Amino acid sequence: MVKVEVFYLPGCSRCITGLDELEGLVTSFGPGVFAWGKLDLLQNIDYAVKLGVLSSPAMAIDGKLAFASLPTPKQLRAALGKFVSA
Amino acid sequence: MLTIGKIAELSGLTTDAIRYYEKEGLISPATKSDAGYRLYNDDAAPRLLFIKQGQQCGFRLADIRQLLTLKTLTASCCSDVRKVAIEKKLQLEAKIRDMKAMSTALDALILGCNAEDQPIDQCTILSSLEVEHHG
Repeated sequence: MVKVEVFYLPGCSRCITGLDELEGLVTSFGPGVFAWGKLDLLQNIDYAVKLGVLSSPAMAIDGKLAFASLPTPKQLRAALGKFVSA
Repeated sequence: MLTIGKIAELSGLTTDAIRYYEKEGLISPATKSDAGYRLYNDDAAPRLLFIKQGQQCGFRLADIRQLLTLKTLTASCCSDVRKVAIEKKLQLEAKIRDMKAMSTALDALILGCNAEDQPIDQCTILSSLEVEHHG
């Protein structure tokens, strides 16, 4: 299962806007394909630094920084598609 | 009104530093005297302290300018400032990580060099730097 992780800051409204839609998109691929996770940036700062996260919100797919800011649903669908067809 | 010398004394900065911050648009004198000397109002020294302490926390002048702008915007809130601070911390942590990796690479070179009296053309550190490393 490929992990899709969003690094966010609690209390940051810009970080949360649009997240539900992205989560819905990730889960629409069906069970066992992608694992959606929301990570508090401060609680996971070592992991975030390891991935190269420099701002919030950011998104990692399969343990690699994929988006330095939240993607549009279209961008995310394209990024996830690579894992599904692989 | 305070002269540049006085606010330098109050803030612990040099007059050159204050002129530099003025050039960078972070502070400006309220007026000038008849003789052309810069004159500052009372909020200049606290503003300079803000800049100084911001730099001590690793903020670049551009970051400090952003913070000073946020400070004046009624639409901004503490979480905006917190976000700037956290992003600065991320940058610092990334630099620390890179520097630790450099230090580890140096450890490997130093450990690999155990012949202190070897001629320079047999120096393992110099020869290691000439070889491309992967991974």
